[in-house]
Amino acid sequence: MATRSFALPILPRARSSRPWRIASVLALLAGAWLLSLLVPSLTDQFPAHWNLGLREAVDGFSRWVTSNRITSPIFVYFFDPLSTGIDAFVRLIENALLGAHWAVIIGITAIAGWLLGGWRLSLGCSLGFFLCGAMGLWTQTMQTLALMNVSVLFALLIGIPLGIACALSNRFDRVLRPILDAMQVMPAFVYLIPVVLFFGVARVPAVVATVIYAIPPAVRLTSLGIREVQPAAVEAARAFGSTRWQILRKVQLPLALPAIMAGVNQTIMMALGIVVIAAMVGAGGLGREVYLALQRLQVGRAFEAGLAIVVIAIVLDRLSEALSRIDLTQLPSRAAGRAPSWVAPLVIAGLTALCVIAFQDAFPGEWQLGLARPVDGLVRWTRDNLFFITRPLSDFITLYLLNPFRDLLRDIAPWPVMVVAVAAVGYFVSGWRLALGSAIGMFMLGWLGMWSQSMDTLSQVLVTTAITVVLALPVGILASQSDVVRRVLRPILDFLQTVPTFVFLVPVIMLFNVGRVPGIIASVLYAIPVGIRLTELGIRQVSPEAVEAAKAFGSTRAQLIVKVQLPLAKPAIALSVNQMIMMVLAMVVIAGMVGGAGLGLEAVIGLTRSETGIGISAGLCIVILAMILDRITQAWAARQR
Amino acid sequence: MLICTDIWKIFGPTPEKAHAALAFQVAADKLSYPDHVVAVRGVSFEVKKGETFVVMGLSGSGKSTLVRCLTRLTEPTAGQILIEGQDVRRMNDEALRNLRRHKVSMVFQNFGLLPHRRVLDNVAYGLEVCGVDRRTRNDRAAQMIELVGLKGWESKYPRQLSGGMQQRVGLARALAVNPDILLFDEPFSALDPLIRREMQDELLRLQSTLHKTSVFITHDFPEALKIGDRIAIMKDGQFVQVGTPQELVLRPRDDYVRAFVKDAPRAKVLTAGAIMSRDLRGRAPNGRTVPSHAPLQALLPMLAEHDAPLTVLDGGTPAGVVDRAAVIRALVEEDVARATGA
Repeated sequence: MATRSFALPILPRARSSRPWRIASVLALLAGAWLLSLLVPSLTDQFPAHWNLGLREAVDGFSRWVTSNRITSPIFVYFFDPLSTGIDAFVRLIENALLGAHWAVIIGITAIAGWLLGGWRLSLGCSLGFFLCGAMGLWTQTMQTLALMNVSVLFALLIGIPLGIACALSNRFDRVLRPILDAMQVMPAFVYLIPVVLFFGVARVPAVVATVIYAIPPAVRLTSLGIREVQPAAVEAARAFGSTRWQILRKVQLPLALPAIMAGVNQTIMMALGIVVIAAMVGAGGLGREVYLALQRLQVGRAFEAGLAIVVIAIVLDRLSEALSRIDLTQLPSRAAGRAPSWVAPLVIAGLTALCVIAFQDAFPGEWQLGLARPVDGLVRWTRDNLFFITRPLSDFITLYLLNPFRDLLRDIAPWPVMVVAVAAVGYFVSGWRLALGSAIGMFMLGWLGMWSQSMDTLSQVLVTTAITVVLALPVGILASQSDVVRRVLRPILDFLQTVPTFVFLVPVIMLFNVGRVPGIIASVLYAIPVGIRLTELGIRQVSPEAVEAAKAFGSTRAQLIVKVQLPLAKPAIALSVNQMIMMVLAMVVIAGMVGGAGLGLEAVIGLTRSETGIGISAGLCIVILAMILDRITQAWAARQR
Repeated sequence: MLICTDIWKIFGPTPEKAHAALAFQVAADKLSYPDHVVAVRGVSFEVKKGETFVVMGLSGSGKSTLVRCLTRLTEPTAGQILIEGQDVRRMNDEALRNLRRHKVSMVFQNFGLLPHRRVLDNVAYGLEVCGVDRRTRNDRAAQMIELVGLKGWESKYPRQLSGGMQQRVGLARALAVNPDILLFDEPFSALDPLIRREMQDELLRLQSTLHKTSVFITHDFPEALKIGDRIAIMKDGQFVQVGTPQELVLRPRDDYVRAFVKDAPRAKVLTAGAIMSRDLRGRAPNGRTVPSHAPLQALLPMLAEHDAPLTVLDGGTPAGVVDRAAVIRALVEEDVARATGA
């Protein structure tokens, strides 16, 4: 309502003055420290008997599941049939894809590409699949594709109706939103544990986990698309006496179609993102190749499989993105539009038929493209010749950044001081509400019996984020000033964002050996593209009028950046810091796999040794840490506005 | 045809409470209620069959909210709305839907066209939701498109059309269901001045044959004068004055209305009958006569030709006299009522 937007006079908040508040917080901190000096027995370590007992309860439950798998009606009548059904479906698709001649698959992709985007897309897609075959990964590619298809199909079948419900009912939206948030923040590992518990090990848990992971974007974008349909169109439909269902079907859904298709695209990308993780619970295909190669430290093999995943990701991304660009409001009218040409599809079909006749069913082995060996050689050479760089770097990070900081958080500062300190940060960036929430979160870490691991992880996350920010901001600023830098960076960032996270690990381990440092470097590589992109975007989106005005008054380039662009881009940059910290947190478990210690390691132990209790506790702690850090940085980013 | 009694619309967390406090307080000086916005404040009016009733007000005066209350696109807080004797506020969903489908159609400021449908399908939308079969509705839609002068554009998409053409589609869509009442929410405000005038003429042309009962919302006073049979001036959710264009121009109730009237095209609005002197003595009919409803601009050439006064005929019999001085006075003076003593 326009009448409400009249600016209200900004009233000074009735709060005590700033120095007074700082003093009181300092006093509280000092009090906590004093307390820990007086009662060292209670505060040296988080009291072990203050425990929620979650681990035991979960372990008890998982024992019950294991011993009742065969008899309990819940399994006999629900999980087992569901499991069998999903498995049969995946096998069906997999057999269909593998049974078809390779040329047919490439031909179909080419035709789809031609219909959706033209000959460029068509050629790109077919070359992509051809490359997968040429690396000797045809079978694995098809297996992954089958898993993806089924998972994405399920994710959409569940996600789109949920998204519609969210858009139509505010109450439903309020209920579902925090669940979606949790689903996205929770590391995939954490829900793999219960999924394995209920569905066993094989294709099915991989499908279920992928579906869970991929649902949120489908829901969100569907809901967003419907909510953003022009209100005028909906009102007109109402004014002509449409029922709710008619409005949905005739107005809202058609107009939201581009957004829904963008959701399909995001769903596919999310699903591809956990292909490797899904392999850990028994999914075959490319993910398994990467996982096995990683365990055997075969960098070349991992590189090939990783590259195949990237190629599939790009092909599916472009295809589904072309799908979302179909705009119903701009279709050429039937009378005036060009008649669809059937020449190109016919040519493609003809070529396909030729290939089917000329070659056998399996992808010809003599077309092998040996990428593995040169990559292996390169990594070996780097390891042997660059240790004079990698070694000191690794030592520096460990000795001067990680260790002191970890010791400070975990050993030197008693836990009550940590709780008060985090709460104080929450208080200063937002208010007592956030302070209270953060304090409760910190307590939860202790109650779950994971205090020292949590502090270890927290120290790693903060150090990693600091390194990422220090690297990302200058590069982002540079990219915002120079189109050349931007053009050079773009493919690199694209590559970093689509490569499955595991693939980073392989060369990093080769170079830095196992420990906390490779995890940190992999996390930095994972988080840095987002940081650079958001920083650049923030600066580029500064209003051109302000920049023009500054130029008109004769600012130098440096003055322009420091006095106009950076201050105006501050909210966007703050948001990019928030995103970087969340990306780093998402890598905690993966870092744990290569010796990162802390919560990540506990989660890996939980999954690989079926220690359900430990795994779930660690996962919960990661989620809690993520929530605390997210809320604090969000509030901080909001203050920059 | 359409009778509204004491309509209120209050936005806020507890509109009923705010209404009770504002409506039944003896001291009417209390205008606002904390945390609430009073958009429409006890408005009553009646629109007769075939009449065009214009609500004129500046932005924020509550006029768009008022027109949305009529078919409960916005749920009014209090008051009674009778359409052909039926109480709209007591209707259930089904009855309300039928009202919107068959009785009342609306034309929107930003056209409210469905961007993913061709012109033909947009015009047919109202029929489509009633369940009319494709052939019938397309025939009817094609007729309406021809009526508003868009023949040949049936299979274009809205964004391929200019603003004026889009609003023609909006008009055709409203007419397609053959409603008894048309609601216009600032239909021409988004258009360029020239196109706006063209659309006003188009509407008048259609109305001269269709005679639909209409409620027309606008912020443009000249437009109100041109379109309206009667005009209500709205301010802060209330009607300041209701009357024919001539009544408003001759007798503005207060300074607010007077400010609008000041620049009114008086030669077009005022009629001979309104400014004539009823004193017929000593002025023999000289063959120069005008009907009493003739606007002053029709008198000007005759008076320019010759100095002699004109005899005003009301239903064929002489009712009064108009001379040059009276016309000039009426055109320059604001308060003609006082000048002529009428």
